[in-house]
Amino acid sequence: MSDQNTHTLELVPTPLRARGTSGTWLTGMALIACVAMILGLLGLILFSGAGTFWQKPIEKVTLESGETFLGMRFRTENNPEMGLRTLYRVGNRDLGQQPFRWVDAIEIDKVANPQEAVLVERYEWGIWLGVPSRLIEYDDAGNETVVAEGPEAVLAKLPEYRKAAHERHARAEHIRSDKIAKLNHKLESLRLEELNARMRASDPESPGHLGYALWGVIAAICVASIVLAYRIQVPLARRLLILVAVLSAIATLVERPWAGRPLSSEQLASVLARTATEREELSDRFGEMTARVAEIEAEDARYRIEITDPKTGRFAALSQSQPDEPMKVSQIIRIVEANELGLAGKLSLYVARWWEFVSSVPREANTEGGVFPVIVGTLLVTLLLTVAVVPLGVMAALYMREYARQGIVISILRVAINNLAGVPSIVYGVFGLGFFCYGIGGVIDGGPDPSLVLRVGQWWVLLLIAAGVAFVAMSMSASGLRHKRNIWVGLAWGAVALLAIVAVFTTPYFEGFFRAKLLDGSPTFGTSGLLWASLTLALLTLPVVIVSAEEAIAAVPASLREGSYGCGASKWQTIQRVVLPGAMPGILTGAILAMARGAGEVAPLMIVGAVKLAPQLPFEARFPFIFADRSFMHLGFHIYDLGFKSPDSEAARGYVWTTTLLLVTLVVLMNLTAIRIRTKLKARFQSGQF
Amino acid sequence: MTTQPTRPIESTVSHAVETGGAFEAARHKELAAIESVLDISDFSLWYGDKRALYDISMSIPRGKVTALIGPSGCGKSTLLRSVNRLNDLVASVRTSGEMHLNERSIYDPGVDVIALRKRVGMVFQKSNPFPMSIFENVVYPLRIAGERKKSVLRETCERALQSAAIWDEVKDRLHDSALGLSGGQQQRLCIARAIAVEPEVLLMDEPCSALDPIATARIEELIHEISSRYTVLIVTHNMQQASRVSDFTAFMYLGRLVEYGTTKQIFQNPHLPETEQYVTGRFG
Repeated sequence: MSDQNTHTLELVPTPLRARGTSGTWLTGMALIACVAMILGLLGLILFSGAGTFWQKPIEKVTLESGETFLGMRFRTENNPEMGLRTLYRVGNRDLGQQPFRWVDAIEIDKVANPQEAVLVERYEWGIWLGVPSRLIEYDDAGNETVVAEGPEAVLAKLPEYRKAAHERHARAEHIRSDKIAKLNHKLESLRLEELNARMRASDPESPGHLGYALWGVIAAICVASIVLAYRIQVPLARRLLILVAVLSAIATLVERPWAGRPLSSEQLASVLARTATEREELSDRFGEMTARVAEIEAEDARYRIEITDPKTGRFAALSQSQPDEPMKVSQIIRIVEANELGLAGKLSLYVARWWEFVSSVPREANTEGGVFPVIVGTLLVTLLLTVAVVPLGVMAALYMREYARQGIVISILRVAINNLAGVPSIVYGVFGLGFFCYGIGGVIDGGPDPSLVLRVGQWWVLLLIAAGVAFVAMSMSASGLRHKRNIWVGLAWGAVALLAIVAVFTTPYFEGFFRAKLLDGSPTFGTSGLLWASLTLALLTLPVVIVSAEEAIAAVPASLREGSYGCGASKWQTIQRVVLPGAMPGILTGAILAMARGAGEVAPLMIVGAVKLAPQLPFEARFPFIFADRSFMHLGFHIYDLGFKSPDSEAARGYVWTTTLLLVTLVVLMNLTAIRIRTKLKARFQSGQF
Repeated sequence: MTTQPTRPIESTVSHAVETGGAFEAARHKELAAIESVLDISDFSLWYGDKRALYDISMSIPRGKVTALIGPSGCGKSTLLRSVNRLNDLVASVRTSGEMHLNERSIYDPGVDVIALRKRVGMVFQKSNPFPMSIFENVVYPLRIAGERKKSVLRETCERALQSAAIWDEVKDRLHDSALGLSGGQQQRLCIARAIAVEPEVLLMDEPCSALDPIATARIEELIHEISSRYTVLIVTHNMQQASRVSDFTAFMYLGRLVEYGTTKQIFQNPHLPETEQYVTGRFG
């Protein structure tokens, strides 16, 4: 019996469940599904994005009805209702036609690829498909001379004319963007100076100004108390001296006897007289510059080209209102003999188009031209957000890990920070608009809200109360740091911070840096812009940075910390020399996550600063170089705008893909750079050279 | 010991443990002749509610090696870390009693802990070189003290490395990472770092427990060499090591100092039966 039993036991196969094979299959398939989805997404972006700029042949389509037209095959679909049909890009919007046209497959009689057909990319009105027929030159009297006739002759002559046109364009552009823009900027500052002067002339007497003597005494007290605070070792006296120094420093700064006096009518008149003369000078120079541009433009208008649409026999027009005038040579960006191009030609055209895409400004409601300002905006906002979020997050994490007592308060704080990471980004956007743009930005522009402003006496009482609380907090933390810290110290310092903020928002001394512009109806910082967008995104990514920095700091071995303390290092020295270098790879990981999240975020940006078209880049070659108050363009928002808000969705289609590809590439590049730095740091931390 | 407070003195260690009281250690008469550098008087320490040290009183002789032995959890490491107040980093620690280093108080409220730690070097159980070059590791205590002169740093580095008997092995790669050294070399580097600022006392917390026998032998040799210039207080689990390297030995048990005397006497002629049982391996 027992014998048989053993025998049977050996024969029982291991059940499938116990063998674990199913687990391998299940997890493996889940992985394959994930990888397939991600690769599919990336592949689609790469394929569609990379295909956009590839030149397709120009087809001459003859329909059953006898109608012929030139077009480029855009895409073909098998529509269950309409049957097989093809979308042709036909351009030639000047003729009053839609630039895209659906053609049913059964309608088409025959398709040819005419050698002489060219594609013209223009600065305005989209593409034009046609056959070059004449190149014309006008003399000063307006008599026309035909320089070349017929497609081949025109195309042979054209490069030389285009080169000249290009040079003229560059000259005009230089005058416009450099000289005229500078003049405009000067005129604007003159206007603001006048506004400011008028405003100050109508101001009431500014609050309680001290005489020079009293002000000097206060300034001297400030200096003396700083010096004494350094010398005196008695803690109580030192604390008092520090507070006196801070208060007298504030008084010295806000009560400057020479500033803030209203202008007398004579002073106002003299300012206005000076600005008037300056404006006259500037206007003269302005006229001179516009005359020079006009001269160049008149020269430009002498060289014309006729590119004829075979269907109507009409040529590309000079402008919408002058349909009978042929276009100027200078209106051409690029002329492509699409059906003559070999592979090399197509490749160089492809590269040239990508270069144009990344290096030039958008045209035609963003559906043509490039995305250079969009790239700049994205990079800048990401850079600023990183600069803002990493130091702040790391310092917060350091306090939580190195200084704070690990108790219930810190645990609650930690959970709260983790949860902040899950708040929808649009909420941050709304908060950013309310807090940064209207709150802080409003104060920067026009000073605190008049209904909140205290009288001078009241404000100083508030400051004295703050100083009193600060004294208590200083005393508490001085005695508390050596022994047990308690929550009251934190509360006292919190109260000091709160009173300081209240003091800023109720000060009678500050009337804003950009009051003139505000009165003019154009807020500077009191509206959405680059700075507030970056800070909003910094707030959004702060939890990620704090959590990863805290983990990295906690992962630095306690033995290293003890070794450092054992050598007589202070806490701050230990943090600086041992903890931070050790935690740096982890901190960088957090920074990478923050950057990637910030670069790809759209929802909050729509509220706090990204726009469809920003006429000016957020930086210029004049002080202060970065104009953080300006609106900017952002790749994420640009994709949304092209895809869903474009007036011509078919024309924008290709650009949606290329912009997406660019954004993905940009994020990948930023991540790769950060990962490289991290790997280098890690290697240095673990072995090898230091 | 000059100040002995009046308290019930338990007759045996086990009785003291049962009643939760202190124990008056057996002190050998040879201790009367020493010149002490560190005086510990009635020192007690609590981790929260748990008492870890019970009224320890002992004097550490100048220029000698003193070993602290005893079974795990007897408080020897705690006592060692109290000397440079490293226990301050633990939030729940509370102490009573006093310690004096060269007549100067360690636990007085006005003591500058950072300055104290510069006078008391420490070598840890697990070697903990910083992730920097060998040179930067050795001069770390000088750097944090604000020393900038290249010549001073270089001289100190060479002297400390020579004292720690590792100069010949690393002199050609001073600017390589310290993490590339072997375990024994790393521990000698840590010793060099600890003696770079000429401390008054050198604390060693089981410095060989993570090392192989050959590296251990070298460290022991090194302790022997530096004991002529520094006072060494060493915690060890290894009784052979205590008998080999130390001049004086203190036996601790469950937070109490049990017996303290010359190493020779403790190992060959202990006064108390518990000590004898422990050093012969029958107890603990």
